Amino acid sequence: MMMPVADNTPAFLTMAMAGAILPQLIIAFGIALALLLVAWRRSQRTIALFTGVVIVMALLANISLLVTPAIQVTQLLKVDGYSTFAFSLILISALVALPMSHKFLSAQIEVHDEYYLLLLLMVLGAGVLVTSDHYASLFLGFELLSISLVGLVGYQRESQYSVESGFKYLILSASASSFMLLGIAFIYSVSGDMSFSAVISKTIYNQPDLGVFFQLGLLLFVSGVAFKLSVAPFHFWTPDVYQGSPTPVTMLLATISKIAMFVVLLKCFAAQQYLLLENVQQFLLIFAITSMLLGNVMALKQQNLKRLFAYSSIAHMGYLLIVLIVTSEQNLAFTWQSVLFYLAAYTVANLSVFIVIELLQQQLTTQQADITLSDIKGLFWRAPSYALLMILAILSLAGIPLTMGFIGKFYILSQATIAHAWWLIAALIVGSGIGLAYYLPLIFKLFSAESSPDQNVKISVKNIVEKVLVYSLVGVSLVFGIFPEVINQLINT
Amino acid sequence: MTLSFIMLALLVAGGVVWRAEKQWQGSAKWLSLITLALLATVFTVFVMSHNTDFTQLQVLSRVTWIDTFNIQYSIALDQLSIVLISLTWLLAIICVLVSWQEIKTNVGFYYFNLLLTIAGIIGVFIAVDMFLFFFFWEVMLLPMTAIIAIWGHENRHFAALKFFIFTQVSSLLMLVAIIATGYFHLTQTGQLSFYYLDWLKLELPLSVSQYLMLGFFIAFAVKLPSVPVHSWLPDAHTQAPTAGSVLLAGVLLKTGAYGLIRFVIFLFPQASAQFAPIAATLAVVSIIYGAKMAFAQKDFKRLVAYSSISHMGFVMLALFTFTNVAYQGAIVTLVAHGLSSAALFALAGMIYQRIHSRNLNDMGGFWQSAPRMGGFALAFAGAAFGLPGLANFIGEFFSLVGVFQVMPTFAILAALGLIGSAIYGMVLFQSSFQGTAKHEIIDLQARELIICSSLLLMLLAIGLYPTLLLKFSYGVLT
Repeated sequence: MMMPVADNTPAFLTMAMAGAILPQLIIAFGIALALLLVAWRRSQRTIALFTGVVIVMALLANISLLVTPAIQVTQLLKVDGYSTFAFSLILISALVALPMSHKFLSAQIEVHDEYYLLLLLMVLGAGVLVTSDHYASLFLGFELLSISLVGLVGYQRESQYSVESGFKYLILSASASSFMLLGIAFIYSVSGDMSFSAVISKTIYNQPDLGVFFQLGLLLFVSGVAFKLSVAPFHFWTPDVYQGSPTPVTMLLATISKIAMFVVLLKCFAAQQYLLLENVQQFLLIFAITSMLLGNVMALKQQNLKRLFAYSSIAHMGYLLIVLIVTSEQNLAFTWQSVLFYLAAYTVANLSVFIVIELLQQQLTTQQADITLSDIKGLFWRAPSYALLMILAILSLAGIPLTMGFIGKFYILSQATIAHAWWLIAALIVGSGIGLAYYLPLIFKLFSAESSPDQNVKISVKNIVEKVLVYSLVGVSLVFGIFPEVINQLINT
Repeated sequence: MTLSFIMLALLVAGGVVWRAEKQWQGSAKWLSLITLALLATVFTVFVMSHNTDFTQLQVLSRVTWIDTFNIQYSIALDQLSIVLISLTWLLAIICVLVSWQEIKTNVGFYYFNLLLTIAGIIGVFIAVDMFLFFFFWEVMLLPMTAIIAIWGHENRHFAALKFFIFTQVSSLLMLVAIIATGYFHLTQTGQLSFYYLDWLKLELPLSVSQYLMLGFFIAFAVKLPSVPVHSWLPDAHTQAPTAGSVLLAGVLLKTGAYGLIRFVIFLFPQASAQFAPIAATLAVVSIIYGAKMAFAQKDFKRLVAYSSISHMGFVMLALFTFTNVAYQGAIVTLVAHGLSSAALFALAGMIYQRIHSRNLNDMGGFWQSAPRMGGFALAFAGAAFGLPGLANFIGEFFSLVGVFQVMPTFAILAALGLIGSAIYGMVLFQSSFQGTAKHEIIDLQARELIICSSLLLMLLAIGLYPTLLLKFSYGVLT
């Protein structure tokens, strides 16, 4: 390690700091190299392999960081155990999405280097978001994430939905970020500091004019984030964009973007103690309850699988908001643990679901854009490994024991019970009850005996990468569902 | 250790059976039968050789599981669980026998689910960590739902969904109560605990415990089932395959009663006493409503399903009187109902296999072609309406005697249910076995004879010599 010699002023960026953001640096460097690689040789395989190597390296660097203590990197970033864990989740999601993307892209003749660049940019944005400790870095990460996602969402040009969903996402995402920017400006105008760790005196909140201004700023900021999290009433884009984007992108949208946004929201709220503000709590309460109920009710009648899981993700963000609402200063560590565990469970389940959808889409002989409920009829008898993965994922989303989702729900219920938030618990129970009414029929469909004649072909998993992915996800969801302590330990270190 | 081994063995055997059926057709049923017989023997030997008499809860193992919440894998055994587990073994074997020819598609996977359900049920009866209990509570639910949804009758998906949602939503309430009690333990003693024996020592003020008790009560009342939350049962029973109905009526309902005894009454005695009038009212309504609905049914299995609601009402009524005699009666009723309703559902399955209908209008005059079946049907119907000499009579008699000491009005009202049960019992028998013959059916085969006679023998044994069970269950009471 390099030590500054005979210089007492603190260095702007020490080696320790650089080490702490090494994963992000690797990704950033990888992006630059990937650009050079494109200039040198355009090949689908090379760029995919290169992206994979970059992500794996970042993941390894990140895992080694899990044991190091929290460190502030300049004013902008703060790397601690929580952000490192969240970034690991993000990198794993990207790693799972990569072969899926490759498979999807190699079906076309064109060489799609830019897709991988956008993917890496998105991961970088998420990496900045989870470590940010300042509104400026938050906005930077937010924009990096959004803009690359806009490119990805509209990527499949020949698809009928691509323009629609791309534009929808672009326009709404842009307005969300402008909302957020305005909110940040309001907050800054009152507090005079953009850092999360800034100490704002409690009296500001209660001042007649400044306090209102401040709270308005907060509301605008929260709605910007809520848009990304697709929390009701900012959820309208979700089903359309989920349906319209290529499945690997939907996978990224459902995992990376949600993880990063939620983590940064909690980080910001925890540091600035907005949680204690009654008005903020009330808004979040309304958001959470409407999300839980609306998401589940809307999912009931969906025939399209991607739309169904879009609505289910709205409900899940509602569940997760409960933790944010009921948390208090004393049990912040427990809050982090709950949120990260729930996010991990949610990520594994969504990755599993969308892998199955993507693989089924590739199996379809006809040029059909969407996977509907009738396509998964009798899947258990045709492709047991896919169906098993899907069943585990659905059970996890429904919060049934043996899966990670149940432990996640146990965390949320514990939090809410400690805080005596009975209304939220009631909404959660009602929401889960409604949720079962669409999760369970999905499983019944997988088991149903009759399937249309052209689907009677047995699907066999040939590709070795796919095999590894499917079986390892099955293993992960089972092992961590039965022994959740492993993840608890990881988060706690 | 042995019990954990048994559950693990059931799980592994399930997997083996599933694979084996793919290799050698027809091997699954034999393998399941052998596994169940073997494990039942292991269990018996284990209980016999243990040098205590299990009057008190014997903790068998305690291993840390999820350290964050101080959750342990802890299992224990006492006489109540032994009785119910023995019933489970018996009915599990009956289940394999009744499915022998009924299940024709995906046979391997069927037996996998059956074995898994049994593992879950055994887990429910021995878990003493509340988290573990909840875990098993759900584990037994999933394969059971699969059995209904995959191998059931025409309306199976709806029935399975209804069954699952009712149980799941109510058990979420229980989960909240479990967590709340755990954290109450934290505030009282400074340590989070989900361990049953820790909870027994907890001093809960009535203002808290009444809500906690309600969370548990609702979950168990749904499972039992008691009246306002019973509507899943007729559907689930009617649509399930025969073995599914046998298992549901025979054992799954008993987990509700078991929960009421172990967790509601023992953990929250004060709150339960306060709640007793409401519970007793619900129970009496269940008894009369179940009996009334039963004799209005045209579907053989639906009739038996409603009669189950009526019988379980007796159990709940007896439990909430907190008297020794009534407890005895409740436990005998549990076992007796498990045997008799299993027998009736098995009969329904046998008739369905012959005439492909469950409708009583399609039946009639079976006695002429199948006198042996008729004899058994008469005996089982007699058991259901509490004929002296059979086990159900003992259970109902003791329950009513116990109830009469505390709540005489309720006992008198509940006794009305007995008249109802005589009516539906006779309706069932007359419309299927008497009258003009509508079908010629084959009489009982050897396999079916074994099923019926073993169940009847058990019913007779308990009916004539109830001390067999009364002596055994005495230790549960304090």
